[in-house]
Amino acid sequence: MISKALALEVLNAALATGGDYAEIYVEETTPESFMLENGKVESVGSPQGYGCGLRILNGLRSVYGYTSDLSKKSLLALAEKLSASYEGERKITVEKIGNGRYKKHSFVQTHLRDVPAEEKIDYLREISKIISGVDPRIVRVQTGLTCTVKNIDLFVAEGPEATHFHNVEERSRLFMVAIAAGAEGFETCFNGPGTTAGWEFFTKTLDYKKLAKETGEKAIMMLTAKECPSGRYTVVIKNGWGGVLFHEACGHPLEASSTSKGLSVFSDSIGKPIASPCVSAWDDGTIENEWGTSDIDSEGVPTQKNELIRDGVCVGFMVDRFSARRMNGIKANGTSRRQSYRYCPTSRMSNTYIAAGKDDPEDIIKDTPLGIYVANFGGGSVNPTTGEFNFSASEAYIIRDGKICEPVKGCTLIGTGQEVLMQIDRVGNDLALGQGNCGAASGSVPVNVGQPTIRLKEITVGGRGGKLE
Amino acid sequence: MNFAKFFELAKAKGIEESQLSFSKSNALSISLFRHEIENFSVNDSQSVIAAGVINGKFGSCRTEKLDKDTFPFLIDNILLAARLNEKEEVADIFPGSEKYHKKNVYNPKLAAVSANEKLALIQDIEKAIYAADKRVCDVEVGYSERESESGFYNSFGLKLKQKSNYFYIMAEVVMREGEATKTNYDMFLDSDLEAFDKDAFVKRVVEGAAKKFGADSIASKKYPTVIDRDVMADLIDYFLSSAIADEVQRHSSMLEGKLEQKIASSKLTIEEKPLTKNVFFSYFDGEGVATQNKVIVKNGVLKQYFYNRETAKKDNVESTGNGSWGGGKIGTSYGNIFVKPGKVSFDELIADIEDGVYITEVMGLGTGMNSTSGDFSCQAEGFRIVNGKVAEPLTLITLSGNLLKMLKDLKGFDSNAKMTLGSISIANARIKSMNIGGK
Repeated sequence: MISKALALEVLNAALATGGDYAEIYVEETTPESFMLENGKVESVGSPQGYGCGLRILNGLRSVYGYTSDLSKKSLLALAEKLSASYEGERKITVEKIGNGRYKKHSFVQTHLRDVPAEEKIDYLREISKIISGVDPRIVRVQTGLTCTVKNIDLFVAEGPEATHFHNVEERSRLFMVAIAAGAEGFETCFNGPGTTAGWEFFTKTLDYKKLAKETGEKAIMMLTAKECPSGRYTVVIKNGWGGVLFHEACGHPLEASSTSKGLSVFSDSIGKPIASPCVSAWDDGTIENEWGTSDIDSEGVPTQKNELIRDGVCVGFMVDRFSARRMNGIKANGTSRRQSYRYCPTSRMSNTYIAAGKDDPEDIIKDTPLGIYVANFGGGSVNPTTGEFNFSASEAYIIRDGKICEPVKGCTLIGTGQEVLMQIDRVGNDLALGQGNCGAASGSVPVNVGQPTIRLKEITVGGRGGKLE
Repeated sequence: MNFAKFFELAKAKGIEESQLSFSKSNALSISLFRHEIENFSVNDSQSVIAAGVINGKFGSCRTEKLDKDTFPFLIDNILLAARLNEKEEVADIFPGSEKYHKKNVYNPKLAAVSANEKLALIQDIEKAIYAADKRVCDVEVGYSERESESGFYNSFGLKLKQKSNYFYIMAEVVMREGEATKTNYDMFLDSDLEAFDKDAFVKRVVEGAAKKFGADSIASKKYPTVIDRDVMADLIDYFLSSAIADEVQRHSSMLEGKLEQKIASSKLTIEEKPLTKNVFFSYFDGEGVATQNKVIVKNGVLKQYFYNRETAKKDNVESTGNGSWGGGKIGTSYGNIFVKPGKVSFDELIADIEDGVYITEVMGLGTGMNSTSGDFSCQAEGFRIVNGKVAEPLTLITLSGNLLKMLKDLKGFDSNAKMTLGSISIANARIKSMNIGGK
């Protein structure tokens, strides 16, 4: 996309006024998407993205710019405009560009673009048919498949020898949505498994027929669900996507973009207990073929398995190069990410999860006389400074006498990250991951959340169903 | 680029009718953290979306890569998308509206102010925020501006162009008192820097955080509720998205079959006025249709859905000029929404509430809202209202209800309407009662 010679020239222009780090991120994305509505092709998209982001750091200052015009004139103009915001003397002259090395963590057998469009459409049609077939009250079914191939060229300069990384990321995701209508109104159920493997994931690894059937069944079940009670209750959260609570309430406040500036509730927590002793947690960008996996991060640092919490004690953060500058002696750990060239990268989660514990998930339910079982979340948000979060469950049930009973809707969990981590009193042995997109300062990035079945001793539950009896 | 060439090439490949929209923008943003410039960014970007019809089937493609291969790339992908398209309706390309109401909303004065002067402005704001209250421990202040140009062309010879710009200033303040930390955020949007009142902005953002100290929860029950205009704007946005004809036709809207029916309190009147001369002005939509001002809800009666050309055809009506591009197809969007304010002051609005709640912030509405049924439940913050006055702050409470029920229970608005970043102008609202979850 741009030659090494041009990259060298742009890096040197960028560093002319005293910058101590410059990075060129060139990206060409060729996504394809197929969207079906009630089994019929509604749209086929192939929006092409193309551009370059340039970042120059100088101590604790950062400037960033981007352009979708990759001509020499445009790139040098961008470098000049950005470097003009520093007023120093040149510290670094880049003399040559070497090649960066990294290990691959994703392996594609069959690229989605090599599968005929008709075959992918037939696959989506089959899923749509299974969902519609569940019940006549399913009034609308949406299915979709997206695949994004990113061709990335990254040039990083911190001294006279810059490093060039070339990386290709292929990420694919399936969407299925069932909308059920009844006298009580509408209910929606969504599932969206994603991967950095290829077509083989959708046809061989994933039990898509079972997932489609469940998607339809859950939408129908929620139609007749009663309103969730409100108050403070014991809550058991199912494995997999349930980890979104940990992601929002504990993962975000452990990102160095907040901790390094003292803006997080966990800023000064290294070595201190922040969770109950049964909790250990990781962020691991290297899990083979997972949705949140990358080979290298947006700054050319290889991804790695980062320990965040060990037996309740905070032991690490997700750290990007810029935030590391505020953190004495702590190094970037391969967690700097961005949605595209339009975003300045910062520390983000990849595959983040609570590690498996020892409890049998069935025992956790059995030992809960009265409470709420959250099987699926719609999503949630958190204020990283105060730690306050909220999550809405898309599928929840009442637990009575150690058994999962009637479903309830409109269930929201609210609290603070600090509180919820301490409230975990049981951790199951059934770790599973779930796929999502996480939106924050550097855009929307694909992430896995994950956890085994866990129990929270007591947490505030919001709902419209009065007291739980 | 020579767009005329695109239409020639498309025709040669069998695309009978086609259209192309071009957009180009450049932006500047600066932010400060603890007296230092933390981020400084400049950028420019461009993109082209082209669409065409072959044998009554529609196909489209978007790209940011503009070079000699752009037109062949777009044409190949339009052909592919049209071949696979299974929509039964016969598609066509819109030739053009009879009349367009073009206005000049570009403010050249904004671009003439140097980046250094804009930096100085936010440095001033930062200083004033630190000085306003001793408990302020961190401040993040940012300035962003964007200038954009768009063009719409089609094979019938239509050429439409628009240029606009705006800036916004945001500030987030963190305050500490003992162990308690409170944050508050505010922003200001306009295209004229002279419209910005620094002192009022600083006062608002600092007082907003200070008022939150000592917050507690409240007993769960139904309370007479006053909802802040920013929160109300988010809620009205969900309501309006249900008025998109596409949702109605797919049976996933709570407003299906409700046209000309009373769906809300008579205090609710909503207009869409895209031709208002402000930063949200637009005189043509994503399909080249001239936009028009219109009433959506009048005194509680639903008067109008939002249509693009395709959904209008299904209902045998004209497009309302609400077509927009999204996700590789024509969708529907709206902007410059005006919800009619009331005549009373905020104090008068709450004067007769003995024991109520004033909601100033909600979190998690995106996931807590079932946009097809209107049922919602979300985390909220605000204040108690005691004997007609705003009293102690509330935190970690939940607000829940049903959107349509809430609008039926609307008792009225005060007169303090404000335009939000989401382009909805709305005032503070009083609701008869709502479910508040707490202790």
